[in-house]
Amino acid sequence: MNLPEIRSRIDHLDAQIVGLLHQRMEYALQAGKHKEIVLDAGREEAILRNVTSMSSAMVESGFLRTVFTALIAESRALQEKRLRLVAFQGEHGAWSETAVHEFGSAMVAIPCFEFGDVFAGVEKGEFDFGVVPVENSIEGSVNEVNDLLLETSLQIAGEVVVPIHHNLLALPGSDHREIRAVYSHPQALAQCRAFLSRNRLEPRPFYDTAGAARWLRHEGQKTAGVIASGLAAAIHGLEIVKERIEDHPDNATRFVLLSREPAGGTTDKCTVAFTTRNRVGALLDILRIFAEQKINLTRIESRPSRKDPGLFGFLLDFTGHTDDPAVAAALDNVRSLTVRFKILGFYTGASR
Amino acid sequence: MTNLKLVRLQNNVRTTITVGGATFGDGFVIIAGPCSVENADQMIGTAMAVKEAGADMLRGGAFKPRTSPYAFQGLGLQGLKILAKAREASGLPFATEVLDTRDVSWVAEFADVIQIGARNMQNFSLLKEVGKIRKPVLLKRGMHSTLEEWLNCAEYIMNEGNPQVILCERGIRSFETYTRNTLDLSAVPAVKELSHLPVITDPTHGTGRVSLIHPMSLASVAAGADGLIVEVHRNPAEALSDKDQALTPRQFASLVADVRAMESFRREHAAEPAAAEGGRA
Repeated sequence: MNLPEIRSRIDHLDAQIVGLLHQRMEYALQAGKHKEIVLDAGREEAILRNVTSMSSAMVESGFLRTVFTALIAESRALQEKRLRLVAFQGEHGAWSETAVHEFGSAMVAIPCFEFGDVFAGVEKGEFDFGVVPVENSIEGSVNEVNDLLLETSLQIAGEVVVPIHHNLLALPGSDHREIRAVYSHPQALAQCRAFLSRNRLEPRPFYDTAGAARWLRHEGQKTAGVIASGLAAAIHGLEIVKERIEDHPDNATRFVLLSREPAGGTTDKCTVAFTTRNRVGALLDILRIFAEQKINLTRIESRPSRKDPGLFGFLLDFTGHTDDPAVAAALDNVRSLTVRFKILGFYTGASR
Repeated sequence: MTNLKLVRLQNNVRTTITVGGATFGDGFVIIAGPCSVENADQMIGTAMAVKEAGADMLRGGAFKPRTSPYAFQGLGLQGLKILAKAREASGLPFATEVLDTRDVSWVAEFADVIQIGARNMQNFSLLKEVGKIRKPVLLKRGMHSTLEEWLNCAEYIMNEGNPQVILCERGIRSFETYTRNTLDLSAVPAVKELSHLPVITDPTHGTGRVSLIHPMSLASVAAGADGLIVEVHRNPAEALSDKDQALTPRQFASLVADVRAMESFRREHAAEPAAAEGGRA
């Protein structure tokens, strides 16, 4: 190896070390949610014992102790800040992470494997909030999230609408004409269906957009592409073959903020969940109540019950606030006509 | 020419093709830009200059059909991305050439108009491939092709389902050596008699001489062309290809002014039915 080669490898390792530091701090913050007092002397001593046992003549135990003492001090300082942890589905660079930052810059976005992990983690108090996609302007509802909303004990405390621009990514130096299969989250693949069809590319579902980008970098497959954000391309060092490949330029996804507490303050939007009795005109009776009170419905979503497939659960979004007597009257009437009625939350609607 | 089922003029109904703010077949569309996309700076700089001078559309090659395999072959995908940036900066749509069937769908993802160059006019697999896309195709006349051969190539594209074909006369080989090619302006009114498709001219390749581009552009307007495509480089001396035939932005601005004046004269003239009738007789 010549000097530039060695240096390039060192740079690569440094980037990996920084990436690992990010991960370690994320876990430290999550551990902070499990303990009352930040300082845990026994655990800190155990970490130092563990890492110094891995020392060598090159990496001495004294050096390791110095490095990890500094790391632990930094972790502790971070835990003391009591930052707000927000769970999202996917990996760093996913669109859900972009949505998290729309809710506020002081939010620390923590990746989760599945939507169910986001809900469960917030319910158990491991995260302060969760951010999940509910619907998309091209592809419609995100079924899994709507199913979880019907069952959850959490509240919707806010919403954002994020413009989504997908990119086709490939390994640097590969020939884009050799790409045969494209990996991404099923929602992203569906939002780019026409693009994939025009270019005879086979869609292959993957659990996350950014996760697919990491996978491609790791696998090094020259005949594979990935649909993900520009951020994911930058994180994983992939080349953008084509920007904005979504089937419509107005592609946008609506995300909601999940919380254990109601939003409070002045709100202008509400989501309710309920199951109707299985009889003629059951849904119509409910919709009529809103029409009579002149309440504007912004979304109706119906999902078959996963516990009893003969029944249907409904999610209804409308504009209106708690103090409005028309809203209160409508909700009382709806409650009497439905089973499992629940107000998922009053919150401030996104401006668009 | 009995086999021209789709290309033949019938009941005097003419095709118009709108790209961005300009319409081929209604008025006079001026396409301008460098021979090749060399880098973002050169392409965007030239794009802004030709927009300022009054161009309707950009041109720029990302895939170049060069006589020598050792000559600059174009930037490929990178060139397409630069053209997209130039379109964003200038607001002008762009036309670019495709050489290889494997590139057709990709070029169509970026470009507003797909060009089939003179050397590929009878590349039938390529014609069938651009017939399957939903973007207008600029079909240049082969340098040794008859009108019938040329129009049959347009028939190939339309037969695959793409009705948006723009023809372009770019000069044919003759015994003359002073000019690079012989711009066959009689092809313009001849095509208008035979086909409903719009036809433009390329006085840059048609003459290969900077001094002849301006007069032949005016002659194209007089001949009834629907537009022209002309090479402009911000600094022709530094161009990686065709440096001897590119106009400077200043020369181009003067050409646009005269062409627009000539075109408004043509429009007024066409508005008088008696005069048009007399002209045809």
